[in-house]
Amino acid sequence: MVARADRAPRHMQGTGESESARVRAMSPTSGVTVQFEHVTKRYDRSEKGPGAVNDLSLDIPAGKICILVGPSGCGKTTSLKMVNRLIEPTAGRILIDGKDAAQEDPIALRRRIGYVIQQVGLFPHLTIGDNVSVVPRLLGWDRKKQVARSNELLELVGLSVDRYAKRYPSQLSGGERQRVGVARALAADPPLMLMDEPFGAVDPIVRERLQNEFLRLQGELAKTILFVTHDIDEAIKLGDLVAVMQVGGTLAQFATPAEMLSNPASDFVARFVGTDRGLKRLSLTKVSEVKPRPAFTARVGDDGADVRKRAQAEGIRYALLVDTAEHPVGWIPVRRIPDQGRLTEGLAESMSPIFEPANTLKDALGRLLGAGVEQGIVVDESGRVRGLLTFADFGELLRTEDAS
Amino acid sequence: MDTAWVLDHLDDLASRLLQHIVLASIALAVGFVISLGLAILAVRRRRTYGPIVVISDILYVIPSLAIFAVFVSITGITLLTVEIPLVLYTLLIYVRNIAAGFDAIPTDVLEAADGMGFTRWRRLRSIELPLAVPLIVAGLRLASVSTIGLVTITAVLGDTFGGLGHFILEGYSRSFPTEIYFGAIPSILLAIVADVTFVRIQRRATPWSRTSALGRLA
Repeated sequence: MVARADRAPRHMQGTGESESARVRAMSPTSGVTVQFEHVTKRYDRSEKGPGAVNDLSLDIPAGKICILVGPSGCGKTTSLKMVNRLIEPTAGRILIDGKDAAQEDPIALRRRIGYVIQQVGLFPHLTIGDNVSVVPRLLGWDRKKQVARSNELLELVGLSVDRYAKRYPSQLSGGERQRVGVARALAADPPLMLMDEPFGAVDPIVRERLQNEFLRLQGELAKTILFVTHDIDEAIKLGDLVAVMQVGGTLAQFATPAEMLSNPASDFVARFVGTDRGLKRLSLTKVSEVKPRPAFTARVGDDGADVRKRAQAEGIRYALLVDTAEHPVGWIPVRRIPDQGRLTEGLAESMSPIFEPANTLKDALGRLLGAGVEQGIVVDESGRVRGLLTFADFGELLRTEDAS
Repeated sequence: MDTAWVLDHLDDLASRLLQHIVLASIALAVGFVISLGLAILAVRRRRTYGPIVVISDILYVIPSLAIFAVFVSITGITLLTVEIPLVLYTLLIYVRNIAAGFDAIPTDVLEAADGMGFTRWRRLRSIELPLAVPLIVAGLRLASVSTIGLVTITAVLGDTFGGLGHFILEGYSRSFPTEIYFGAIPSILLAIVADVTFVRIQRRATPWSRTSALGRLA
């Protein structure tokens, strides 16, 4: 695209830029509501075939991520495909933005819904740029707008246009292809996205990165997303709402992840979310949401004798040294504090893991275990010490959650 | 080798070569159009797949001399008598290859296309046909080589047809090896040229298949 602009006369460059600027200025269309009303899918055989869905009702608010999760054969993919009518329900209705999907032209309906599948399904004979602009092309956008939109989306999913736009899918890694798949689904700015195990075929490290980027993107775009997975951890991490389905295509529970972990609706749900429910709940709670225990702190420049006296009065053996901005520096054994003179940073002997507000309790506990120490230092947004979290505190948190 | 005879008949060679190319091209083109239709039908309606392949199979096993003889009794010594058997012989090769080309398209690609709102026709035109090109061209290569060979047999219908086969048959009946070579060698070369041309066309038409592993290393 750059090469073409170079050759084009000056006034042409101007049009090209304003065109792409206009596309970029297009604020993303945010989500619509989706309702399943007593949706049933029965295949012809008398016994329930795999993937049959039984009287499924879900009410998904606009702009939320709803995860359909369950073991294979629970009908989660069938449910998803009934939304864009790749599969037609036997009974019941699906309303998108209040309108019955069955009343719409399926081709037009699908062009308004983003669709991402596990194997991605990029078109091998089209360049990455052309793959992304497939739906705009179907919708008959003019060529310039297609290219501008495709470039914008590649950058949005973290693929540089110069490096990727002219390549073919076979030249990309699995993770890169997945990003292209997401960019392609977003191309016509659909209010609703259907994603069928989109991160299922990549390795765990790439998956984690893609999940985090997905959450960041959704923070900007606020689409309504129906997302199918068989991985309960992924469901808990990504979902605003989680629908657990069981074999036979029935809904076992529809709730927020926190609600589902603390109040599983049935033995099936309890078993499906696993015996480590408490640990999983730790992953839903941020460090900023718990009250740390107070820390005994001493500031750089304090008088040594004073600090020592204060510590001994409270029976403290280690003081947490902070600098003048109250950022943690390290631990000082009280018995090593000199009788004369002021505290300096050099006196600090060791450090503990620092827990920032955005860390989850699961991450925090993991770092405590990794460092092999008893406690971590909780700081606020500007890095000032708020207090401490000890192993005992985590144990307490786990117990209260199991009891609830 | 009778060089004088060869030099004397270069004009003949040119016109027979041209005839050979024309006779083969007509059969290849007509056969292709019919086969494309049949293959699409076979892939779309799975139930027709078996019958279509079986019928083209049966046509293929009829001995070529017999089929030309039968058509002489129906259509006389005309272009139709030459082309109908040639076309029938291309069907099996084409249909099998084109159908295999469609079958080789990964199902996730088709599912993605449907999910994004391709119509049936649009999907066929801009996804399935381009992706089936490698196997379609493989069919063209096989069919062209086999048809170029079969055109020589049409020499049994008399001087009017036969292309380069005319020299082979005449040389044989006159026990004149120079003339046999005069027909055989150019027809072999023609088959090779046709084959190479189709490989070139395929490379040109499928830029995506050239760029796999090496591109990723770069």
